[in-house]
Amino acid sequence: MNLKDDNQSGEVAGTVVEFMEVAITMIVFLKGFYPSAAFERRRYMNVVVQRARHPELRDYIHSAAYGLLPFIQKGLVERVAVIFFSEDNVPVERFIFKLTINPSSAALVEEAQLQFALRSFLIKLSVSKSLVKPLPQNCRWEVTAYLRSLPQVGSSKEGELWIPTDTKQWQNPPVITPVKSLNSEPLCLQLYLEHPSLSQPHNLVKPNAAHEPQVR
Amino acid sequence: MKRSLGSNSSNNSGSGSNKKTKKKNNPSNQKTLGAAWGAASSRSSFRSSPFSDFGSYMEVKNRKLQNQFETEASASSHGVSGSEKLIFQGVSIFVDGFTIPSHQELRGYMMKYGGRFENYFSRRSVTHIICSNLPDSKVKNLRAFSRGLPVVKPTWIVDSISANRLLGWVPYQLDQLNDTQPKLSAFFAPRSHLTPQMASPVTSCPLDTGYSEAEEGSSIRAEHSEETRDHVDDEFDGVYIGNTTPELTEETGTGDLKSSEMNAERLANYDIEEKEVSSELQSTTKLHSASDNKSVHANGKNDGKSIATAAGSSARRHSTLEDPNFVENYFKNSRLHFIGTWRNRYRKRFHGPSNGLKWADSGQNTAEMDKKSTIIHIDLDCFFVSVVIKNRLEIHDKPVAVCHSDNPKGTAEISSANYPARAYGVKAGMFVRHAKELCPQLVILPYNFEAYEEVADQFYDILHRHCRKVQALSCDEAFLDVSDLRDVEPEFLASTIRNEILETTGCSASAGIGGTMLMARLATRVAKPAGQLYISAEKVEEFLDELPVGTLPGVGSVLKEKLVKQNIQTCGQLRLISKDSLQKDFGVKTGEMLWSYSRGLDLRSVTAVQESKSIGAEVNWGVRFRDQQDVCILVQHFLQCLCKEVSLRLQGCEMIGRNFTLKIKKRKKDAEEPTKYMGCGDCDNLSRSITVPTATDDVEVLQRISKKLFGSFCLDVKEVRGVGLQVSKLDSADPSNKASRTLKSWLSSASASVQIEQDDNVFAAKVRENSDCNRHVTGGVSRLRESNSAESSIQSGDTNSSLPPMCHLDMEVLENLPPELLSELDGTYGGKLFELIEKKRGKRKINSNSPHVSLDGTVASIKELKSLSVKIHGLSTSGEKEYKESYVPHPSIARTFNQRTIEMTDLMPSSLSQVDVSVLQELPEELRADVLGAFPAPRRQQLSSDVPMETCKKQDEEPIDIKGTENESGFSCSSLWFGNPPLWTEKFKVSGNCTLEKLSEIYYKVAQSRPMLSPVLQHAISEIESFHDGSANDLDKAIYDVCELLKQYIKLKVEGDIEEIYLCFRLLKRLAARSQLFLQVYEILSPFIQASISEHYGGSFSIP
Repeated sequence: MNLKDDNQSGEVAGTVVEFMEVAITMIVFLKGFYPSAAFERRRYMNVVVQRARHPELRDYIHSAAYGLLPFIQKGLVERVAVIFFSEDNVPVERFIFKLTINPSSAALVEEAQLQFALRSFLIKLSVSKSLVKPLPQNCRWEVTAYLRSLPQVGSSKEGELWIPTDTKQWQNPPVITPVKSLNSEPLCLQLYLEHPSLSQPHNLVKPNAAHEPQVR
Repeated sequence: MKRSLGSNSSNNSGSGSNKKTKKKNNPSNQKTLGAAWGAASSRSSFRSSPFSDFGSYMEVKNRKLQNQFETEASASSHGVSGSEKLIFQGVSIFVDGFTIPSHQELRGYMMKYGGRFENYFSRRSVTHIICSNLPDSKVKNLRAFSRGLPVVKPTWIVDSISANRLLGWVPYQLDQLNDTQPKLSAFFAPRSHLTPQMASPVTSCPLDTGYSEAEEGSSIRAEHSEETRDHVDDEFDGVYIGNTTPELTEETGTGDLKSSEMNAERLANYDIEEKEVSSELQSTTKLHSASDNKSVHANGKNDGKSIATAAGSSARRHSTLEDPNFVENYFKNSRLHFIGTWRNRYRKRFHGPSNGLKWADSGQNTAEMDKKSTIIHIDLDCFFVSVVIKNRLEIHDKPVAVCHSDNPKGTAEISSANYPARAYGVKAGMFVRHAKELCPQLVILPYNFEAYEEVADQFYDILHRHCRKVQALSCDEAFLDVSDLRDVEPEFLASTIRNEILETTGCSASAGIGGTMLMARLATRVAKPAGQLYISAEKVEEFLDELPVGTLPGVGSVLKEKLVKQNIQTCGQLRLISKDSLQKDFGVKTGEMLWSYSRGLDLRSVTAVQESKSIGAEVNWGVRFRDQQDVCILVQHFLQCLCKEVSLRLQGCEMIGRNFTLKIKKRKKDAEEPTKYMGCGDCDNLSRSITVPTATDDVEVLQRISKKLFGSFCLDVKEVRGVGLQVSKLDSADPSNKASRTLKSWLSSASASVQIEQDDNVFAAKVRENSDCNRHVTGGVSRLRESNSAESSIQSGDTNSSLPPMCHLDMEVLENLPPELLSELDGTYGGKLFELIEKKRGKRKINSNSPHVSLDGTVASIKELKSLSVKIHGLSTSGEKEYKESYVPHPSIARTFNQRTIEMTDLMPSSLSQVDVSVLQELPEELRADVLGAFPAPRRQQLSSDVPMETCKKQDEEPIDIKGTENESGFSCSSLWFGNPPLWTEKFKVSGNCTLEKLSEIYYKVAQSRPMLSPVLQHAISEIESFHDGSANDLDKAIYDVCELLKQYIKLKVEGDIEEIYLCFRLLKRLAARSQLFLQVYEILSPFIQASISEHYGGSFSIP
């Protein structure tokens, strides 16, 4: 955790990012996107988790998560979504991490407590197979962060890693299935699933691209 | 004889030495005091002295001083004439701090006119306190400081003597105590001055509220001498007096400032404790104050010393650390501030509204015939130096530089140097140290802002006399558009102006004349010093050909380097490059600029001073916050001062603004302490801004906003090196858009007797304020009781009879108020109180039979806090009925209420939401059930989640961050879920409906560990068989109640815990399959749940 800021909210952000990396891997594993042999069992926060074996996959997830760190530290990140797309680039399933870090109370939390709380997410995720939809053929996935405000392009080096996304969105409001919620003082984190509503017609809208930066 | 405060104080050495210094200055007592030092100078010698303890020593000392006074008095009155009237008979004064006439003279007067003069303050013997200035801490804790004695200006004595009779002291009351800021709280009791009740029962009434910033070293010292009665101190004194230089004493004084505030606060505590009946918590508070004091003391001492060595004899305090008035001093000594504020001054002076109109016209004219325009750029030569030395002929041709400080370390930056100095290579921005290396005989002079102002005014007077179109660039630099003045040769005009300037101001000016502003400016550069140059249109190319690109305005070092890399050194070379390629290389705007500047083109025309787009103030020198307990208070104080400055600037420009940007300079992670003393060094610049709906220049609003913005950075304050506040989206502050101000001015009509009530709560307010800021510090709990609330409650009951009690306020009206106003109300009603209640729920004790108002709060740190707005938390409990309607209003209203309950019977709050649940919880169970049962059914229906406080709170937060509501803890969101166990359990228990009773029961059973609804519902499923649906009528009510419960629960959880909501939702569905009641509940709630989920998450729950 060399990126850890020396103040407390930075620590929280650091833990969150680390957790996010693990959780994203877990989600990808859970979806069976890659053969299970592509993952290896590891222990994180005293829970059995999966880790990608392939260095590029691992690196993508790692850099996506750590690319968020400066934004999370600044409290800019509202949601982080792991989106699975069908062949025609229509999202079929979205795992949403909705997070709020409350900086003012950051001084009170202990790392161990936070880890304890986050662990429940990983446990819940590992048994959430029943919630997810089967994957369509030729699908792909990506990590998208929804920011509260757009970072100044070019103002910081971190900002340059991000590009606005043109991810298509559903026209109808999605159906939400909550997975896990954590509502503690420095950190509010909710993990839920979004599926297209059943009556979803297949015409899609292009979102306002400026609002959704996406990793790479 | 005074109470000894020594038991828990470790008073600092600075105070001791100050005390001694002061005594030393008192010639008449010198001998006695000399003896006293001897006695007290060390513990061992003290032990061997005839006094058993310090107390008896002081007693003897006071007696002796008294005797001396009496003998002197009799001698003087006999000596002068016996006919002097003893006008001060019975008056005994105590002089605090610096006064005019001096403390000694006053003593003489008292001697002569039959009064008494006390060297040491004592409540028993002193009748009046004389002082001309009070530090803020004392003003705020006036009761503690003055003990209810009148605080009077020294002129009272002088005037009394000249009138030859004892005048009433009331008109001579200290001004600081009179000028109160209008507060919304006063709004609720504004008419009291109309009633005959005005004569107040409280002795100290008119002294009570008031704020002041003035803190004089001398008055602090006086306070020290007044309260050092600790022999440990005296011991220190001896040591210090022995071996400290006056310089060091001066420096340690910086620490004193803080410790004196401490002391004032400590005094306050004693006051509280004295009155306190239950003393269980005294020790906590004491301990706390003692330790706090110690830490600050240590700190203050260290700082004092380090600066004493670093800055030599300079007595100015250099950083936010030591100087409470740092911000003010900063701006007082800032050149940039001078330039910044000068502009407004200029605008006011030369641009009245009519003037401005003329300008617009002529501006157009120029645009039309810009081909033939002639522009003069005129600039005073090294303005900041030449003004300072204009009357000092002896150094006219010596190298002189102006700098804010000339300390031997030489780490100050030179702001301006004259030409002889420049010849040595001395430049602006250079450290004094380096400059002195280059030029050892360099004379460093301080700023003289008054002279600058004067010269700048003269300068512009001259310019405006000669030309109508003047564009002021700075206080010493302007453009004149002389295109219209066909009959005068521009060169002749320029020299006339320059001569006049030299004659009037004694400073030389240079002028450049050209066809464009650019050319005029470039010409001046060549013309300097004291010359002028005319570049006619034909000569432009020739002039520019050899001009280095770096001299073009807008070309900085970075751009210059880039150009040099492309092998472009002069404007001539620059001209060879096409506009397109310039724009490609340097960006559209810069490229365009380079292209046209290299051709001498400049499309700008001379215009009047533009309206500023933003107004702000920034401090990035001397900002240091160290890690100490009260650091957040220091920061707040700092922000407060900054806001005050910004607010003053806004008012100076008669502007109000809507957008507020807080800029922070944060030390870069690996940045060293900067070479420039107290400079900001290498910093990251952070900024955040918010826009509020109503433009304002109100200092309190600014403070609140800046506090929030600062908090949103969530930085380590130790890293902060600079703070700036900028206001933009400006509007002119004409009366029509000053809704909030008119309200305020109306409020200011509130009379003095309203302020009495505020005073009673000053402590409470302070206590709350403290706990607010230092929540992380676990403090002791101090309870205080108002001694005179009985009297004032009667009084306010009468005086406020025209006002509606709070329960009669229409909540809808409140909700629809503009957020600005509402947040103000929120402040008055203790908006943040819910959090506190939540926290301290367990600790609250309510004295059920006493008519006293008991105030309760956590004292986190015993350090005075300049309150932004006095937030008062009062709980009124007087009759049995009161229990039902205790809430958290301003005490005066609470008291009005007390009074009214007796007269009126129909005082039930119109809905349960107005009941303070925390009070309710403290009630015995039967009583609580009674209260809840007493709500008639229709009133229960009104029970909605729109708790007024919550609304206020939300509104208050809204402008900060649109998404800010997500941070909300949500606890206070709904009254049914408030408390532990939550309110609804009680309500359901007594509801008489068996299902509801059952739910309440289950909750008690399962929810001890997890206060959630889902376990309750889960249990309900297993026990559903035992639920009986009641009669139809009963059923409806039960359904309504359950729905309400769930709705509030959903509102509470929707932000942070949809997992729980989803769980409840599914459990509810399962329950619906088995029970008629829950089926209906499910049908009602299902759309509600989906709607709120959709509102917050943009989707709906998947239905299992």
